[in-house]
Amino acid sequence: MKGAAAGYLGQKVVEDIDLEVRTGEAVAIVGSNGAGKTTLFRAIVGLLPCMAGRVILDGVDLTRRRAHRVARAGVAYVPAERHLFPAMTVKTNLMLGAYPHRPNRETLELVFDLFPRLKERLGQQAGTMSGGEQQMLAVGRALMTQPKLLMLDEPTTGLAPKVAKAAFEAVERLKATGMTLLIAEQQVPLALSVADRAYVLENGRVRMEGTAEELEHNPEVRRAYLGVA
Amino acid sequence: MKAVLLDGIVLGLGFGLLGVGLTLVYGLGGVLNLAYGELAVLGAMVVSLVKDAGAPLALAAVAGVAAAMAAAVLLDLTVMRPVYRQSGEHRVLLGLLVTLGVAFLIEGLLNWRDPLGALTVDIGGGPIGIFGVPMPMSSIWASAITLGAGAILVVFLGATTFGRAIRSVMQDEVGARLVGISPSFTRTVIFALSGALAGLVAVTSAMSSPLTVTQGFDLTSFALIVTVVGGLGSVTGAFLAGLLLGIVDTLSAYYVGQYITSVVLLGAAGLTILIRPRGLLGR
Ligand SMILES: Nc1ncnc2c1ncn2[C@@H]1O[C@H](COP(=O)(O)OP(=O)(O)OP(=O)(O)O)[C@@H](O)[C@H]1O
Ligand SMILES: [Mg+2]
Repeated sequence: MKGAAAGYLGQKVVEDIDLEVRTGEAVAIVGSNGAGKTTLFRAIVGLLPCMAGRVILDGVDLTRRRAHRVARAGVAYVPAERHLFPAMTVKTNLMLGAYPHRPNRETLELVFDLFPRLKERLGQQAGTMSGGEQQMLAVGRALMTQPKLLMLDEPTTGLAPKVAKAAFEAVERLKATGMTLLIAEQQVPLALSVADRAYVLENGRVRMEGTAEELEHNPEVRRAYLGVA
Repeated sequence: MKAVLLDGIVLGLGFGLLGVGLTLVYGLGGVLNLAYGELAVLGAMVVSLVKDAGAPLALAAVAGVAAAMAAAVLLDLTVMRPVYRQSGEHRVLLGLLVTLGVAFLIEGLLNWRDPLGALTVDIGGGPIGIFGVPMPMSSIWASAITLGAGAILVVFLGATTFGRAIRSVMQDEVGARLVGISPSFTRTVIFALSGALAGLVAVTSAMSSPLTVTQGFDLTSFALIVTVVGGLGSVTGAFLAGLLLGIVDTLSAYYVGQYITSVVLLGAAGLTILIRPRGLLGR
């Protein structure tokens, strides 16, 4: 995306964002509470209008498209609140991911491979699952849309540290399959451990960007986000 | 007693189908369509027009259902657009205002064109014994059509891909958008369906007693009661509530008197809400 801005009620929350994700790459957006990560994601997928700039996927302009058309164009977004269909089973949630097509066999295999728990719980209602399981289902449902770009907003929200680590291991394996990833995360060390590159968002603007390695060794990042004096 | 119960079931099925049309639209976007009964009346008047022009009954019925459906789609594509652009409480309030306005408009138009308009659908044939009770042919036809429509609806919503997509919008609109489902398209379809149901109920109810131009508001109120008792957004709930209320209605008409039925119905609805605030099968 280029020079994008978005916000609420005419008030810009994020501004002048230049962001690029190349095919097969994992890119992290890091920043503290209220930095604007979620706002930025919502603008990319069309849940919020872009107030400036453009959003382009493989040369196709998605800037003014509504959310369901962005999804069909190949951008899958897993919000921190997950937005599953609570009264439907795991199976139906996954099938709706593929809507309007029939679920793709290989994709389904991939999902079960990443999250065997989902296969065991196919008949369970989504709303009755634990937070970690719901997160798996949300990612699984997003994968069923067969996206070109998968966006994860704080995949570790509400997860115990051990479960959060497991979640990132799944992200790692997903990346190994060649999936292009954009991940917003407050837990900077976790994010930098899987990302190729990262952007540091502060007060709605890109404060720094670079490869994960560069940022890990950047004194400012170490002080502000990695808890190193 | 058996006869009263059977009459109650026939009436209740009609109530149920009437409620379904309202409850689906509500479940899908929080709009209580106060013009719902007027859509039914509109459909009825078209049936009556086409019938009087000499067309066979079945054709007239189809035309009426189609007219109510078309009117619903027109509503959805015009005045409902700004309503759905709002969210939360604003949407609910604006929805009430807009549909109330439409109700007045349709009622006014119909009253002006044909103040004495009424639809009667005559089904020939003598009564048939059911459980030893002679039931008029009209009741049998009406119930069969209603049950058929209900079954089709349940299968459509429960077992087809598009039906699942509709239910997903009811459960989480953002989630639905994220998997590529257009809420506004599904809403148009459901609005159309709701209009068609209104038209269908108009036809089946005119089989047992004439449906007049002035009955739109009554139909809307009955649909509201059924919707509230059945649980907002639930199809099976609406049918259960319809049956319950239909039986209550005929029992009270039989043992007390016709004048008391509306009060008893409202009382029954109020009681359900006290016991089960979300209705019989509400989410
Ligand atoms: N619906 C809304 N209406 C108005 N302001 C909002 C809305 N949602 C978020 N904001 C504001 O936008 C700013 C950025 O919020 P955003 O949710 O994008 O941050 P974030 O980086 O995702 O934070 P977190 O890490 O806590 O999720 C905050 O100041 C927030 O108060
Ligand atoms: Mg956020």
